[in-house]
Amino acid sequence: MFAARLTSFPALLLLTGSALSGPAFAGQALLRAASEANVNQRYTIESVSISGVQVERAKLPAGLRHRLIAMVGARCDMTAIGDMAAELRKELHLRAVNEHLSRGSQPDQIRVNFEVVKRDIAFEVSVPKFLYHSKQGFTGEVQASTHAGPNTFTLGAVSNGDDLTERYTGIVARYEDAKVFSDKVRFGIGFEDFHEQWSNSTQRAMAAGGAESGLELYRTRRGVSPGFTFVAAKSLTLSLGANFAQMKPETSGASQRSANALTADAHFAHSVEGTVQQTLDGKYSLRLGTRSLGSDYSYTRQTISFRYQVKYGKQLASDDFMGGNISGDAPFFERFVLGSSSTLRGWDRYAINPLGGTRVAHNSLSYGYQFGDGVGEVFYDSGALWNRDKGTGGVRHSLGIGYRQGIFVLTMAFPVVEGRVSPVFMAGMNY
Amino acid sequence: MAALGAGAAGCALLVTARAVTIAPKLLVHLDGDYIHISAPRLGFLNGKALERLKDGVSIAFIGQLTITSQPNAVVADARSAARFALSYDIWDEHFSVTRFGDRPGSQRSISHLSAQAAETWCLDNLAVEQALMHPDKPFYVQLDLRADDPRDQIGVIGEPGINITRLIEIFSRPVKGNQQRWLLNAGPFTVAELKKARYG
Repeated sequence: MFAARLTSFPALLLLTGSALSGPAFAGQALLRAASEANVNQRYTIESVSISGVQVERAKLPAGLRHRLIAMVGARCDMTAIGDMAAELRKELHLRAVNEHLSRGSQPDQIRVNFEVVKRDIAFEVSVPKFLYHSKQGFTGEVQASTHAGPNTFTLGAVSNGDDLTERYTGIVARYEDAKVFSDKVRFGIGFEDFHEQWSNSTQRAMAAGGAESGLELYRTRRGVSPGFTFVAAKSLTLSLGANFAQMKPETSGASQRSANALTADAHFAHSVEGTVQQTLDGKYSLRLGTRSLGSDYSYTRQTISFRYQVKYGKQLASDDFMGGNISGDAPFFERFVLGSSSTLRGWDRYAINPLGGTRVAHNSLSYGYQFGDGVGEVFYDSGALWNRDKGTGGVRHSLGIGYRQGIFVLTMAFPVVEGRVSPVFMAGMNY
Repeated sequence: MAALGAGAAGCALLVTARAVTIAPKLLVHLDGDYIHISAPRLGFLNGKALERLKDGVSIAFIGQLTITSQPNAVVADARSAARFALSYDIWDEHFSVTRFGDRPGSQRSISHLSAQAAETWCLDNLAVEQALMHPDKPFYVQLDLRADDPRDQIGVIGEPGINITRLIEIFSRPVKGNQQRWLLNAGPFTVAELKKARYG
C-alpha cells in the first residue's frame, strides 16, 4: 500500500530519507544532545561487558576489544557509549545492541553492559548508491550480503550511467575476508558482468575517426579483480591486486579483447579534532595493463586525488582535487570523464568529449552552512579533459547549490556557458 | 433474561470504570501571563520509555501545545513546542530533565525528580502567552507528545546506504511499537473563564 502510493523510486528514497532523518523523528542532533545531557555522565565506568560476559573474556575482534577496554575508568559518556553500540552492531552484523547501565561496586561507579540481539535472517539487502540526474537518468545499485565471521559475500545489481563514458548494467559479486592472518590484512575478490550501452554522441565520434585512435566499442564486459589490502598505519592503507577484464566487441565476428592490469592503491586519511575540525584525505591509484598478463591493451593509468575539509561551528568548507594521466592504449572503461555527479556538475559529458580523455584535472570548491540536521551548500567546479598530443580544450566551470542531509543530497548545477543558462538537477544518496 | 441483563450491565460498568481509570484528562489553568496545562493521569513515563530510562539511556520527547479556535482545526492561533531529554540517575534513582530551547542559552535543566514530578515539569514548560488570546473568544487546547527511540534510526541509513532489510523490519512493526505518542484535547475555554476560576 505504502509503495503503491509512490510513483517513483527516487520519491520513495527521498521520502524515506526525510522521514527517517527529519523533524518527525526528532533528528540525530536532538538524540545526541539528549545523550550529552544524561545525568549519569558524572559517574565513572567500572566495567564493560557484552551480554553479561566481561569484555576481556568476550570473543571480539582485537580492535573492538581494545576500544571497549579503554572505556573502563573513563567518564560515563553516553554519546560515546551510544556510538560504541552502533559500532558493535555494524562490525558484528547484529540486529541491535542495547546499552544497559547498572550500579558499580563503589558509589559513583557504573557498569556498562551491551546487550546484543542477533539477526533473524541471513541476508541483508541494501541500496548503497542511488542517483537521479535530469539529463543522464538513473544510476543505482542494489546488493544483498551475508556474513560468516570475518567473511562477507555480496551479490548486487548495477545500472550506472554516471561514472564512465558508457552506461553499464549488470551484476556484481564479491567475497571479502576482513582478517587474513591479522586484522591488518584483508583479502577480496570481485566479479562483474556488464552489458554496455553507448550514447549516440559516442557512436558518432567513433564513426568520425575515434576508431583510428585504437579505441573499440564493446557490447559486454566481464571482469575478475582479486586484491589484498594492508592497514599500514592508522591513517594509511595500501592495496595490491589485479584486474582481468574481457570485452566482446560491438562488431560482429570480432574476437574478444582482454584488458588485464596490475593494480595498486595508497589511501591516506587524517583528521584533527577541536574547535576547528580538519580532515585530509588523499589517494593515489595505479593500473598497469601489461601484455605479460595476456592483455591486448598495454597502458599505465595513474590518478591522484586530495580532499581537504574544514568545519568551524556550523560552517563547512572543502576543496577536492583530482588529476589523472593515461599513457599507452587503454580500453574505454579506463578513460577519464568529466560532467558526472561529482565532477563539472551540470555539464553534459558528451559535449566535453564523447570519447572521454586520457588527461584530466579537476577541482571542486564548496562552502556549506548547517541548518538543523542538514547542510545547505554552494559549490564551484572547474576542470579540463583532454588527450595527449592535443590541447586541453580549455578549462570549463560550473556553479551550483545543494542541500545535504546525512547521505541524501539534492543538487542544482549550472554549467558556465556563454549565452544560455541550462540548470541540471540531481537527487540521490552517496554520490 | 434478568441475569443476562444484569451481566451486560455489569460488563458495561466494568468497561466504563476501566475507561475512567485510564483516560487521562487535560487540565488548563492560568499562571501569571501564561496558559499552562497539566495532565495528572497521563503517565507518559511508562512502558518501553521507562524501561530504557532505567537502563541509564536518555530518551527524547517532543511536546507541542496547540491552541485553536475550532476543535481539530488545522491552523493554530497559538503554539508552544519544546524538546526534552530525560534520563534516570542509576545511583540516585531520580529523574533529570533538560529542555532544549530554540535560542542558544535557553536550555534549562532540573534533576532529583520523581517520575510524576518530571512529567509535570515537562508539561509546565509548554505554556502559551495569554496575551495572544482574545479574553472572551472560546479556544481549544491540544497536547501532542512523542517519545523517540534512537535505535529506530540506527541501521537504516549508514555506510552501505539504505538498508532495505532494516527498513522492512521497521515498517513491519506495529505503529505504536515504533513511536510512543500521546494526544489529548480539551475545550472550549475562554481566558476570562480561566481568570475567574483562578481568582475564585
